[in-house]
Amino acid sequence: MRALAVVSMLAWRNLWRNHRRTIVMVSAITIAVWAMIFMTALMRGMVNDMIRDGIRALPGHVQVHHPDFRDDPSINNLIPMSDAALTAAFSRSDLDGWSSRVKVPAIISSERESRGVTLIGVDPELEQSIEGIGSNVAEGRNLEDVNDGGVIIGRKLAEKLDTELGKRVVLMSQDPDNEIADRGYRVVGLFEANLELQEEIFVFAGKATLQKMLGIENQVTEVAVLAADYRDVSDETEQVRALMNGDVEVLPWQELNNYLGSMLKVMDGFVLVWMIVVFLALSFGLVNTLVMAVFERVREIGLMLALGMRPASILGQIIVESILLLIIGLILGNTLAWASVVPLQDGIDISAVAQGMEMFGASSILYPELTLDDIVLANVVVLVLGFFASLSPAWRASRYEPIEAITKV
Amino acid sequence: MSAVRCIDLCKTYRQGDQDIKALDHVTLEIKQGGFVCLSAPSGGGKTTLLNAIGGLDSPDSGEVWIAGKRIDNLSKGDLAQLRLTQIGFVFQAYNLIPVLTARENVEFVMQVQGVPANERQEKSTAILEEVGLKGLESRRPAEMSGGQQQRVAVARAIVSRPELVLADEPTANLDSKTSDELMQLFVELNEHHNTTFVIATHDQRVMSYARRLIRMLDGRIVDDINQRAA
Amino acid sequence: MNIILRLAWRNLWRQPRRTWLTVGAMVFSNALLVFMISIQFSTYELMIDNTLQAFTGHIQVQAPGYKDDLKMRQVVPDVIELASSLRRELGTETIAARAAAFALASSEERSYGLQIYGVETQFESFVSTIPGLVRDGRYLKDQDAAEIVIGKVLARNLRVSLGDEVTLLGSGRDGSFAAAIATVVGIFDSGVPDIDRSIAEVPLGFFDDVFYMEGAGHQIVITAPDLISVDPLKMQTEALVPASLAVHDWDALQPSLKQAIQADLGSAFFMYGVLVILVAFSVLNTQLMSVLERTHEFGITMSLGIAPGRLGRLVFLETAMMGLLGLVLGALIGGVVTVWFGYTGFSYPGMEEMAVNFNLPSRFYPQASILTLFLGPTIVFVGGMFAAIYPALRLHWLHPVEAMRAAP
Repeated sequence: MRALAVVSMLAWRNLWRNHRRTIVMVSAITIAVWAMIFMTALMRGMVNDMIRDGIRALPGHVQVHHPDFRDDPSINNLIPMSDAALTAAFSRSDLDGWSSRVKVPAIISSERESRGVTLIGVDPELEQSIEGIGSNVAEGRNLEDVNDGGVIIGRKLAEKLDTELGKRVVLMSQDPDNEIADRGYRVVGLFEANLELQEEIFVFAGKATLQKMLGIENQVTEVAVLAADYRDVSDETEQVRALMNGDVEVLPWQELNNYLGSMLKVMDGFVLVWMIVVFLALSFGLVNTLVMAVFERVREIGLMLALGMRPASILGQIIVESILLLIIGLILGNTLAWASVVPLQDGIDISAVAQGMEMFGASSILYPELTLDDIVLANVVVLVLGFFASLSPAWRASRYEPIEAITKV
Repeated sequence: MSAVRCIDLCKTYRQGDQDIKALDHVTLEIKQGGFVCLSAPSGGGKTTLLNAIGGLDSPDSGEVWIAGKRIDNLSKGDLAQLRLTQIGFVFQAYNLIPVLTARENVEFVMQVQGVPANERQEKSTAILEEVGLKGLESRRPAEMSGGQQQRVAVARAIVSRPELVLADEPTANLDSKTSDELMQLFVELNEHHNTTFVIATHDQRVMSYARRLIRMLDGRIVDDINQRAA
Repeated sequence: MNIILRLAWRNLWRQPRRTWLTVGAMVFSNALLVFMISIQFSTYELMIDNTLQAFTGHIQVQAPGYKDDLKMRQVVPDVIELASSLRRELGTETIAARAAAFALASSEERSYGLQIYGVETQFESFVSTIPGLVRDGRYLKDQDAAEIVIGKVLARNLRVSLGDEVTLLGSGRDGSFAAAIATVVGIFDSGVPDIDRSIAEVPLGFFDDVFYMEGAGHQIVITAPDLISVDPLKMQTEALVPASLAVHDWDALQPSLKQAIQADLGSAFFMYGVLVILVAFSVLNTQLMSVLERTHEFGITMSLGIAPGRLGRLVFLETAMMGLLGLVLGALIGGVVTVWFGYTGFSYPGMEEMAVNFNLPSRFYPQASILTLFLGPTIVFVGGMFAAIYPALRLHWLHPVEAMRAAP
């Protein structure tokens, strides 16, 4: 341990012999570390938001459907279990949230305009438990119960339809016999969502009211289930499968929305690649610095070897010097990253490219998200790769022959 | 017109917590074509005086005149121009740019002076022959002996025919035989081209070549002897 | 014969390992930049082309306000005549008129809401790829026939095949009830589920009848041979149509496209910027050390009368030579990698799902161009030159006598 202390002290002092070079190198490391963490925080935040929004739009982490429903989302593909049986089964489980719903394509007509929408009959209480889109009512009120005769529509949809709170709209869809089923509703609430598209497409009505309109008493088209952690919903998926009987499809969100599902994996891969690339760009400078430092001190190293110091401790000195450089840079870089993320917690407004972001499925406000995993990854990448980068110059330094080194011009 | 005139030069350095008087009211005059040695023990002020004469350093007070023109108040740019065209320097060691050959070291200065390429070639060949280095033009400093390196330095110093050559301990790193050879070269150049030579040294052999010997001590001139060269 | 150039070059090789490591940093960054930028730009081009050529076209003539409100009554009057005259005046056939409505389409077993487009059967294939993507049956021919062409997914959802009838229900231009029956004559497969599910096309004459358009339509679609000719074409079109109509280019029609590209470029530039900065630091370090260790030598050179400014220029020259070396090697390696992937194709796990979202193929063939080959490396080169400013500046303040006190 004494040896390590001596080596470390020598390494530390040697760092500051050429303070300009050390400062330049530390600055470079700081910027590299900051870039690794900051960029990752931004991307992480964006992707997490995207996924959360996407899940809210599905909604739910796990969904249950008739096996043909996803291909052919029509009223004929109802879930074989009755609504009552579903309610009984799910109430007995310990799942965080669930909601059985009737989801059908429909046409909504105001006085002036018509639009194609997705009409969803819900139980407002259950719907709250899965944190679906309709729960963010900005104006008016939410549905009171399954028998409510009103609808909630998105703000954007109200604009496009030229209608407003309190006005009547007609919803038209198709019953299982392919007959038109329609009914007048009053607009009782306007909801807001992060993505405009979501405000234009979804319309919520009382479940029982809708079931009556479509003639499908006690039946639903899907069940949405909320899990504890969106990163891993396999447990809940199994649980739900066990609760069902009959021919149904139980799927986790990754399979319901392939785009979002792959996002998480792609992002993890991307983060690692980004960090490695940044480090590689940095490593040239790092190795250069160490090589120069060794070159300048050849005589001295020769002297130390001649005086009896072991090659291993020369090796150790260079490596410790490198580690010290990296640690200083890491401390400064981490601090800088934290200091630049915190003031941005309220989000970065990029509404200038809002519609472009919608194409990605992301909202126009970026919220950076610092996760411990990412920070640890950045630090580990820098330290581990930095250690390997310093091996070559350190090894060469320890291989010098004392006489040659001392007489080197 | 005298080549060099110094009037009441003073320069003081601070070293640690002491004031060192490197030049203490130095006045002297050197005629064109002179061959002068400045001698002093270490720290005696000879390098400082040489630097002042050559426009490398400005005195705290006093005047320096080169070829009838006052130089101690010139701008850095003008001083550089002066050194480029009218004054040549030879130092004790490390005179040359190590990555250039002998010929290139000589031509480097000429290129900066604006001499066209073919003229450069002619002149560098001639001057290297004059200093006795014919055949060694393509050697780099590392491939030459100490004496040969100094000769290249001299060649470079005189290639543009300056009026004045200043040498600061030019033989300090050379053995006695090579020192003699270098000094003989100086004498030849002085006689052929009437170039004024001012050489700072504490080597007796070198001093014996001088026609005029100026001794300094603690920044003052204590002796100014005209003597027959050896 | 230029000594200064030789001097600068040889100075670089006094410490070969140091120079190679610095050049290495440049080559690494440059190669990476060339490859990434090639992929990016190829992607953008493809994205734009695929999206626009599918259906939107490069320019559209519409009633003002239509593109945001999509109201039935916002029409382009006498749309067929106007399209025809535009074809004459602009001298190109890639112009077609359309009308659009939202309707409920019902087969025997199912009903779905979708967008119906009335198209000029003769000219629609010049502005959209859909007619060419009809896999079963044929595209529309007769301008007045009660025929309809739908996408594969829609055909499946409606449970219809060729020859089956589809009932259309919607509102006409005046708000009145519109209904008709059309026969499915063709089924197209674009590979993009959204398009295959929600678009149906009928002949314009038939549409006019059913929806009481009275000769009016909603869009005149114009495609240009390439993106550069869009602006001049737009100006010409504006001069030819009545002032009461609006002319939009694809940027206004699909703002999300340009914005998505901008967002992507924004994040890319941040990342590229970091790389450039790191390389610049490398150059700064190298040149700083290189200058410091020659302090004595510079002192001697200055005593010869060489002005410090000249020495500063020498440092810039050395940096430029390194930069050029890094630029050429980096562009070369990056170019080779790009071209190689241009042959074999490029893909990464997760790309397929993302690609569908943006109208892109799931395997990618990047193209190199002068721009992509040199944009990145040039910026790195400039960054390196900026980094040399501080070391060169230090020479400015160098005093020959002080300099010569430094160890040689």
